Amino acid sequence: MKQQSNSLNLQIAGYLIRLSSDSPIELELGYEPFITSKTAIADVNINCYAGIPANLFQNDQLVFEAKNEEQRFYSIYRTGTDLGFIIYNQQDKDQIQQVAVLDETFSHWKVYSETQSNNKILPLKYPLGPIIMHYLTLKGDAVMMHASCAFDGTKARIFTGFSGAGKSTMSKIWNNAGSLIINDDRLIIRKQKTGYMVYNTPMYYADQPKSALLSSIHLISHSPENKTKKLSGATAVTRSMAFCIQNNFEKQFIQSRLQFFSELCLQIPVYDLGFVPDQSVINFIIANETGETK
Amino acid sequence: MIIQTLYNLKSKFVAREVGNELILVPLTGNVAQMSELFTLNETAKFIWENITEESTTKDIETALTNSFDIDSETAQKDIENFLTYLEQLFIK
Repeated sequence: MKQQSNSLNLQIAGYLIRLSSDSPIELELGYEPFITSKTAIADVNINCYAGIPANLFQNDQLVFEAKNEEQRFYSIYRTGTDLGFIIYNQQDKDQIQQVAVLDETFSHWKVYSETQSNNKILPLKYPLGPIIMHYLTLKGDAVMMHASCAFDGTKARIFTGFSGAGKSTMSKIWNNAGSLIINDDRLIIRKQKTGYMVYNTPMYYADQPKSALLSSIHLISHSPENKTKKLSGATAVTRSMAFCIQNNFEKQFIQSRLQFFSELCLQIPVYDLGFVPDQSVINFIIANETGETK
Repeated sequence: MIIQTLYNLKSKFVAREVGNELILVPLTGNVAQMSELFTLNETAKFIWENITEESTTKDIETALTNSFDIDSETAQKDIENFLTYLEQLFIK
């Protein structure tokens, strides 16, 4: 981590994000390459405060909870026209790490964090950073996906699937063959004038901002042999949308995602790909990209 | 589950037509269900769209036999199967 000033700008997936505070701001390592000196009008402004107010959202409606048996990530409340977020400590799920409020335009956040021992605040501490990026994608034609993306100099291919399906394995295979890995875990796809662009997002490690024009999406799983089938229509939409990050408590969020993937699947081919985890899958994919079932 | 109950539960889903099919996405308050999406084929889509506040299974059966090249027995079976599927979907 590195000390930063009380105000800074980040450029992530082409979005300008402005953080400001009365307290010194610190960022996790992965955000540092995304700091920019660009000073255009920000897509989102984040006002960061030291100290977490007590009893926030007590009388507000709980609308969404991101938790499983082992972990509790965050809860969302409807507070007037705003959304209120309680972010839990990932090491201690009963401890509140941060509290945040997002206005109805999705353009202004207030983020409350405890001051650390070095007197700085860490406003984008995981998982709030990715949550902010997710709500940024809801402002426009964009989605955030759990996926890896490899760019071989000509084509950028997204590989997505359930946990353990082989996203990281696929990244290593393409990386060993000389491809640029945009990221192997979390991506933003944006509809731009030139087509659908794929961008990496800040991770826990430092990596330069990267982007590429999307060519295809492959829904992967391990298989005793390489096999692929091109998907279309509702199947392509539902199968690919299932791997995007969603908070489906609002109809408009779902409608926006359905529209995005319906349009994307008309332009970008989606394949069901069973693969053997070795170099053979590269030639197999290239040979079958126009493809029907093989 | 009676058809009017199913009609009321329709509002808990967001639907979008893609080609001849219909995608259903449940409104949900937790992360566990967020990757659950459902696709209805042309017949199921037709039945879904014909579930209204006042409709009966007989009304849907008539509409189905008028719109598709199927007999009453097949229509009844399709409706029964689809309503059972919806029930399972809704009570998850």
